[in-house]
Amino acid sequence: MIRLLSIPVILAGLVAAAVFWSGDAGDRQRADFAFINRGDNKCLDPNGMSWMQDIRLAYGLWEGLYTADPATFKPILGCADHAQVDSTQTVWTLHIRPDARWCNGDSVTSRDFLFAWRRFLETPGEYTYLHFYVQGAKKYSSDFADYLAARKKGDTTRPAPDFASVGEKAVDDQTLVVTLTDPVPFFPALLAFPPYFPMHEPSMHHFLEKDGLHYNQKFTRPPFLVTNGPYRLAEWTFKRRLRMVASDFYWNRANVKSRVIDQIYADDGTAAFRTYERGDVDWLADLDSDLAAQILAHGKRTDLHVFPAFGTYFYSLNCLPTLSDGRHNPLSDVRVRRALSMAIDREPIVKNVGRLGQPVSFTYLPPHVFEGYVSPPGLPYDVTQARKLLAEAGYPNGQGFPHLSILYNTESLHGDVAQIVRRQWLDNLGIQMDLQGVEVKVFGEMQHTQQFSVSRASWYGDYNDPSTFTDKYKSDSDDNEAKWNSPEYDRLCAEAQKEPDQHRRLALLSQAENILLSEAPIIPLYTYVNTYMFRDQVQGIPLLANAMIMFQPVHVIH
Amino acid sequence: MKGEFHRGRIRFGGLILLLLLGTCIVTLPWTLRSSSNFYYDHQHTDSALLPPQMNTTWMWFGTSKLGQSLLGQCLAGGVISLTIGLAAAAISVFLGVTVGILAGYRGGWLDSLLMRIVDILYALPYILLVILFKIAMEKPLEKMLGSSAAANLVVLFLSIGLVSWLTMARVIRGQVLSLRTLPFIEAARAAGVPQYRIFLRHLLPNLIGPITVYATLTVPQAILQESLLSFLGIGIQKPMPTWGSLASDGLGLALAPVASCWWLLVFPCTLLGVTLLALNFVGDGLRDAFDPKAEASHI
Amino acid sequence: MTRFIAWRIVQLPLILAVVYLITFALVWLAPGSPYGNNDRALSEAAKNDLKARFHGENWEAFLAYYPWRIVAHGDFGPSLSYEGWSVNDVLSSALPVSISLGLFSILIALLCGCAAGVTAALHRGGILDLLSLSAALIGISLPPFVVAGMLIVIFSDGLHWLPSGGWGQFRHMILPAVALALMPMAYIARLTRVSMLDTLGHDFVRTARAKGLPKRTVVWKHAFRTAFLPVFTYLGPATAYAMTGSFVVETVFNIPGLGQHFVNGVKNRDQTLILGTVLVYAAFLLVLNLLVDIGYALIDPRIEITARPE
Repeated sequence: MIRLLSIPVILAGLVAAAVFWSGDAGDRQRADFAFINRGDNKCLDPNGMSWMQDIRLAYGLWEGLYTADPATFKPILGCADHAQVDSTQTVWTLHIRPDARWCNGDSVTSRDFLFAWRRFLETPGEYTYLHFYVQGAKKYSSDFADYLAARKKGDTTRPAPDFASVGEKAVDDQTLVVTLTDPVPFFPALLAFPPYFPMHEPSMHHFLEKDGLHYNQKFTRPPFLVTNGPYRLAEWTFKRRLRMVASDFYWNRANVKSRVIDQIYADDGTAAFRTYERGDVDWLADLDSDLAAQILAHGKRTDLHVFPAFGTYFYSLNCLPTLSDGRHNPLSDVRVRRALSMAIDREPIVKNVGRLGQPVSFTYLPPHVFEGYVSPPGLPYDVTQARKLLAEAGYPNGQGFPHLSILYNTESLHGDVAQIVRRQWLDNLGIQMDLQGVEVKVFGEMQHTQQFSVSRASWYGDYNDPSTFTDKYKSDSDDNEAKWNSPEYDRLCAEAQKEPDQHRRLALLSQAENILLSEAPIIPLYTYVNTYMFRDQVQGIPLLANAMIMFQPVHVIH
Repeated sequence: MKGEFHRGRIRFGGLILLLLLGTCIVTLPWTLRSSSNFYYDHQHTDSALLPPQMNTTWMWFGTSKLGQSLLGQCLAGGVISLTIGLAAAAISVFLGVTVGILAGYRGGWLDSLLMRIVDILYALPYILLVILFKIAMEKPLEKMLGSSAAANLVVLFLSIGLVSWLTMARVIRGQVLSLRTLPFIEAARAAGVPQYRIFLRHLLPNLIGPITVYATLTVPQAILQESLLSFLGIGIQKPMPTWGSLASDGLGLALAPVASCWWLLVFPCTLLGVTLLALNFVGDGLRDAFDPKAEASHI
Repeated sequence: MTRFIAWRIVQLPLILAVVYLITFALVWLAPGSPYGNNDRALSEAAKNDLKARFHGENWEAFLAYYPWRIVAHGDFGPSLSYEGWSVNDVLSSALPVSISLGLFSILIALLCGCAAGVTAALHRGGILDLLSLSAALIGISLPPFVVAGMLIVIFSDGLHWLPSGGWGQFRHMILPAVALALMPMAYIARLTRVSMLDTLGHDFVRTARAKGLPKRTVVWKHAFRTAFLPVFTYLGPATAYAMTGSFVVETVFNIPGLGQHFVNGVKNRDQTLILGTVLVYAAFLLVLNLLVDIGYALIDPRIEITARPE
């Protein structure tokens, strides 16, 4: 019997030992401000960054020549203390402030900016195309890619392209001159965005890979990462916590209110909410929408903030003449697309599925967001007209319409929206569609390779200009999953890019959007909303549509 | 009293199962007719997320987020859940018995090989196997069956069944190992009876006991597996309901710390719990019934 | 005995190698590579980082180089979905958590399951049999995410006895360990019950009782010892399952354990992470089964270890 008892005793002993081994900072001091971000951090290298949660942190860790005003997110001078543009609006001269320092005390110089910008052209990332506004950048990038390809094949005769051909020059340690191909009125906003941040080459040097070009991502982890923003990265334990501590060398450190900021991980929406309720975090940046809707419906709580976001939820329609399985694609007929668009009643979707007062949307660009931009009307909800169009296209009452499917990823509310849309198309048009819910990786691949007929989609704007939306559906855009091709749309976009007068420019883009909406390669459904939770004691969190935040003014009043 | 209980248990459990299954099947004409209020996908958009209302029949269990009748969904879902359970159990019986008999009877290298394969399969990531199988088979099945809903269902119980046969194989092998040494089998072998006949006429009848027991016990396991797959987002295709997917969908809203929609979880889970307990009881009862030694266990 | 152990230890790397190959093939076949594009895909930088490290862009290089890295350097390579983190980082941060939680939950499952099973066997046919078996079978009669959620609602939201999640102190472990223990507990209770019923019918038990030994002694000292063996066999895979965590429990209680990586690795097609977690699980399983087999001899020296049936 004693021998048998030994089993639970051994187990208990192991448990006790293991608890000590695994238990982490139960006694660690609570940070001045703690929050739960939108998801796992994927990449803290500005070169590879594209996810919102990483960009949020990047604004706290680095600072570009321009930075964003914490309250309005409009670009203001940051690392640069003065900037001017010449009369042609294409040559920018930027002077770095003398007290700009990296978090290890080094001075920020123009070389740090050139190093980062050049790296973007030589090792392209998601946002490299933003550098193509600079003269010679696009050519340099593709020439460099050709040079690399040749070198890999063993051809050593081909010379590397000359970086001097790019319109980014350091006049001296403190001054940069950037020459653009066309006037870009929103260039300060781009300079404030992570792709234009500087990088600290000396600390990255150790992580250079054998090819002399790429850097091992370990450099983004503490204690190696050196940044020039209000905070430095102090600690990053996998899937538990990320800690930022105020930089002692930041030029504006007097205005940084919270010394220590923690980002806590929580994968599940309800678990995240419970973490907030316990008081372990001060700000929940993205509350699960079901919970948010419940709180709103029965609300007496003042700590839930729901406001429109800088993104649109829509359905994307495959515009290619044949589907991926070889059948003829009925959606290549614009009348069919318009019919599908006009047969959807968005009200039940936002009422029963969204449940957060999301604004119904008939346009691709979120309305009233861009100053001076007039949104076109878009297609209305008109079932009679829809039926007529469908009959004209050769499918009266949906007869003869082939079996198509609605593609979506099974996370979140996409399945519910798809169920409603499918039901409406069946009831209003007599069209039978299947539902195809897949996991997000497969979804991404299928959407990107046009293995769909109808797919759910969304797009968030990256910077404050309509082109962040309109660029997506140009014929040559890699993000144009509908493969919609309109020479007129392309022409208007190109003309807008060259137009110096902001008024005319916005009018051109509005015309472009009008074409997009009437040809209906996409069906806008609603505008996203952001759901923040924070108590009244928390100050400095702005309610901005782009869901971004500058951490300097954020603090908790006790 | 002593020996009676297991039989009583089987009867009791079986009765509950029949009642539930019966109700679900009998109501199919309503839950599957698209015009009916009980139709599992009839979206009453103005009656969404309502708690149970006693005055209207189809609202007895409340409504879902899209306004569907939860009662209708539970009834239809019961049929689908039990179909998946039974089909998966059938597949695992077929595979488990075949492999078990082969391994136990032939012995030697075949036995070692088959058992090592079973060991390896135990170690493989189940989720990966399910995902792969789904993706590989879904399109061909759709062409074969003509409907993507049917293809999804078939893929689901195939993939669950294909990983549930391992325990059955082990158990059957153990049984065959002990049966093999019995005199009448030896006699049959000596008499030159062909192997397949030995399998069919002599082994199988003696294996009915363990087969029934483990088949009954595999059904609830399979139904739970489907609920896990739904939780992960790779389960049954919407809008078809199963008890597991209803529980998984309702989880967030029902357990919300604020204003919970309890009916979304309580009804599917009660049905699930009662059915699975009943199945487990029947399985245990059957095992007791087939085990002669158990008669004398009271001390 | 030593020969037996030695032979099993030799088999271990062979089985692991086969598991590795099969998993690798499966992942390769699965559509949706981690390099695929979606809204926000694996960045160019990470892609290039990977290609540079593995000296090539194609699968042949990966296949040739990768196993060598594991065996020679114990390096499972970079995670493809968690950029900048290696699989070793992920494993070393998650394993301690999952192991401690797993051991604790197996302890609970063992104690409660055996108690329930013995009670049911002794009171066979009575109400206690029904009750204790029902309670034990909850673990396999309801989906685990429902049970875990209900535990939180009752003990955390309702009674405020325990935290609803997180990790760091002992009290964080209690609810998740219970949630994790429910499934093994059900099987242990059932196995104990059947085994006890079987044992209680044996002659030696009757003899002991006839000799006048108190019931308690007979049950625990004699019958249970023998009845425990099948439970002990099950402990191997049960502990392996518990120690490698459960996706459901970790998601609901927000625990940074290993279970989520099994699922997330597959969902993200993170080849290296999948291979790392699968190999860890397989290794645990094989080692624990071996320990169980060795333990047999310690518990009951009458048992000839090499003759133990599978």
